[in-house]
Amino acid sequence: MGWLSMPDNTTTTISRGPEARQAALDHLWMHNRSWATDAESGRPPIITSGNGVHVTDAEGREWMDVNGGYMCVNIGYGRHELADAMREQMSKLVYFPQGTTTEPLIELASKLSDITPGNLDRSWPVTGGSEANETAIKIARAYHRRRGEAGRYKIISRVGSYHGALGATMWLGGDGGREDYEPAFPGMLYAPQPDSYNSPIPGETDSEAAVRCAQAIEDLIKFHGPSSVAAVIAEPVSSSMGAAVPGDEYWPLLRQICDRYGVILIADEVITGFGRTGTMFALEHWNITPDIMTMAKGITSSYVPLANAIVTDEVADVFAGSDNIFKQALTFGGHPVTAAVALKNIEIMETEGLVDNSAEIGAHILGRLNDLAAEHPMIGNVRGRGLLIGVELVADRDTKTRFPKDVQLGNRLSDAFEAESLILRCGDDRIGIGPSLCITETEADELVNRLDRAITKVERGLPS
Amino acid sequence: MTQQLEIDELRNKSTRHLWMHNRDWITMAEEGEPMIAVEGEGVRIIDADGRSYIDVNGGYNSVNVGYGRQEIADAAYEQMTQLSYFPYGTTTEPTALLARKLAQMTPGSLSRVFPVSGGSEANETALKIALAYHRRRGDSRRYKVISRIGSYHGTTAGVLWLGGTQETQRDDFEPARPGMVYAPPPSAYHSPVSGETDSECAVRCAQAIEDLIKFEGPETVAAVIAEPVAIPLGAVVPGDEYWPMLRDICDRYGVLLIADEVINGFGRTGRMFAVEHWGVVPDIMSVAKGVISSYLPMAATIATEEVAGVFAGEEDYLRHVLTASGHPVSAAASLKNIEIIESEGMVENSAAVGAYCKEQLEAMMGDHPSIGDVRGLGLLMAIELVKDRETKAPFDPSDRVADRLNESFKKNGLILRVGGPIIHVGPPLCITKEEVDEIVHAIDLSLWELEGDLGMAQYA
Repeated sequence: MGWLSMPDNTTTTISRGPEARQAALDHLWMHNRSWATDAESGRPPIITSGNGVHVTDAEGREWMDVNGGYMCVNIGYGRHELADAMREQMSKLVYFPQGTTTEPLIELASKLSDITPGNLDRSWPVTGGSEANETAIKIARAYHRRRGEAGRYKIISRVGSYHGALGATMWLGGDGGREDYEPAFPGMLYAPQPDSYNSPIPGETDSEAAVRCAQAIEDLIKFHGPSSVAAVIAEPVSSSMGAAVPGDEYWPLLRQICDRYGVILIADEVITGFGRTGTMFALEHWNITPDIMTMAKGITSSYVPLANAIVTDEVADVFAGSDNIFKQALTFGGHPVTAAVALKNIEIMETEGLVDNSAEIGAHILGRLNDLAAEHPMIGNVRGRGLLIGVELVADRDTKTRFPKDVQLGNRLSDAFEAESLILRCGDDRIGIGPSLCITETEADELVNRLDRAITKVERGLPS
Repeated sequence: MTQQLEIDELRNKSTRHLWMHNRDWITMAEEGEPMIAVEGEGVRIIDADGRSYIDVNGGYNSVNVGYGRQEIADAAYEQMTQLSYFPYGTTTEPTALLARKLAQMTPGSLSRVFPVSGGSEANETALKIALAYHRRRGDSRRYKVISRIGSYHGTTAGVLWLGGTQETQRDDFEPARPGMVYAPPPSAYHSPVSGETDSECAVRCAQAIEDLIKFEGPETVAAVIAEPVAIPLGAVVPGDEYWPMLRDICDRYGVLLIADEVINGFGRTGRMFAVEHWGVVPDIMSVAKGVISSYLPMAATIATEEVAGVFAGEEDYLRHVLTASGHPVSAAASLKNIEIIESEGMVENSAAVGAYCKEQLEAMMGDHPSIGDVRGLGLLMAIELVKDRETKAPFDPSDRVADRLNESFKKNGLILRVGGPIIHVGPPLCITKEEVDEIVHAIDLSLWELEGDLGMAQYA
């Protein structure tokens, strides 16, 4: 355990890097990685420190982390204030006995009520985005049952959206690749994604796509019968679909449709919340209050695990009273140490204007990427809001044909990004960009310049 | 006075904005709840009103090293000042070293660690590994999961439907996950067969699992999941035949055996992992709580080399991502926590003080007719309350036994959970015999009050 207290960071990293890598290859199950392949390629990289948008690995090489972890390190790496807040709470009280609560958690619930839209007022804290969405679905189903509408159990999500990896949420949205886990959770219904660029209708505008896709949700509700539908869940801007921003009609229409049929509207702000899109919560762009909102990632900038489902007074009210208790417990739900870190994180976001910075620098990057599109034919579309940005990759801009799989464009680009010291993994069809919200204009320019060089290099090496 | 106003204001905010576990905010507001905990040390916590309590459940049977260990705060702090998180596709030193440590500590060939951040996530991950394992081997019809009535494995949709009791009340969340198959709990005390011994019960209940596999068709069954010592029915310790038989049966039919050590693990039952009591190695083990003594969220799913091996190739990786999985700060805290458990002999203390505590509780049976049974292993124990010890007749709901005891325990300085007719005992593993004496004395007082209030004949 000596590595924790070694004073000289440089010697620590050089001596411990290989050992940590071997331990990882032998014993760690990493996300969507093959340890056999990683062993051959000298992976995984062992990261040892971080500052702002940059991290340093065990060999001393500095990288720009283009997605700030999993679009989650919103305030950036290396903020000691959060470590101080954590240690202070941990030194007083690390956990809480059953049936009790703690001051930081109460203050956090109160703060979240203040900063979320409308009458979103009551928080069920959990530890990750998947758990938050699982909780939201359980609340939605129990809400209807308490009101005598036990038949409402189906959940509508959109193809291509992502809401988590657990028993119910892994079947929401999606883009294939989950046959491993069949049979699916009962009651999953799928609506189209409001993304005009990838629309089946040529020349469709954002507005037209928004109206068509909202209408599709109403049609699904009517087809299946409103008395069987519990909730609609959607991310305001879907990062898994490359940050397609829906036309302005979409969210107001969803709100109306859900109201009309008594369906609960769940906004998944796990990625979009806490400044990612240039407002504190993305639904503020359309002045919509959902019935349930979920949040994670940016709530602590992932300094420690914390997430939350917050509901309106109307939803919470059906669970008030000693006979109406919502039956759920999670050991780490409402952890006082994570709450203390979240409070400090939100304070930093607010006092340093990181939400405004997200809007400004995001617009700057969007502008620069649109300039790049003129020079790089493989850039089919650039879209996004704030610092949630997507680049669509095409072999032919007019037909929007994607690159054939055997070109392995994603691997080529990822390798070229690595050569530019960017940590940025991408697939064959799109690049996702979501840096920490503290990114400066200079760093943003540096990011775009490196992307430019990497894409140029890949273009030259493509088979003609 | 000012301070009291601040506390009242906090309580007001709490009942207004916070959704607590299984609590009703209207009742809490009426009763001046909730209790706000502000400090902790060892087995004790102090609330905002300055009162001190022994937390007999150590959180949710989860604060294994006890409250107030500054070393863990320091380890987490040092890691956070170096690196608070990691970029996609990379990992960190504490995460890798924790994976190695868990692989070394766990029995047999358990060696590949998928870190997550809670017990529900760990069991969800175990089930996903089990389903994907069979599919990769061309056995894709295997999707059913056998769990036991009276077990608990989590609250998210993939695990919510495992186990359960009549009190679980999951009807709010129907329809259930497909493929749930239920076996009987290996609890001789609750057996429908009168006079059954632990051994007889163990053999009957293991046999029931084999019968279920044969009835459902082995080619449709993916896994059996079980806690070595089950908690919801009150620290049910199976007869010694049970776990070896489960292992044999699962091997015979190609079914994966998942041991849920979320509560049992890290010394709770007097061994580092509870399956060690029976020398059994499961195919997958899930851990949480004690892995970090709840200082931060952390959990893990650990698979054998044989199971992990089918996911090793470039195209074979497990498709499963959780943002907080492998968090370096939690990993650093967890490493320090395990170091404390090992270097301070807490597992041995759990065995020794647990045995002492069980003796003291059993000795109380002579005084208290309301005690139907005392059972457990290490510092995972339960007292089952009955209206009549001979017939095992339960109390009436109108007797409000849980409410009465919860109030009375609090008055006597204990935070101690009563679920249904069961008092669950699971203190931090650092507990001393003297502290056990305090707890036993307080339980004694509370049971005298209860029996007096209910007019039960008392042995003098």
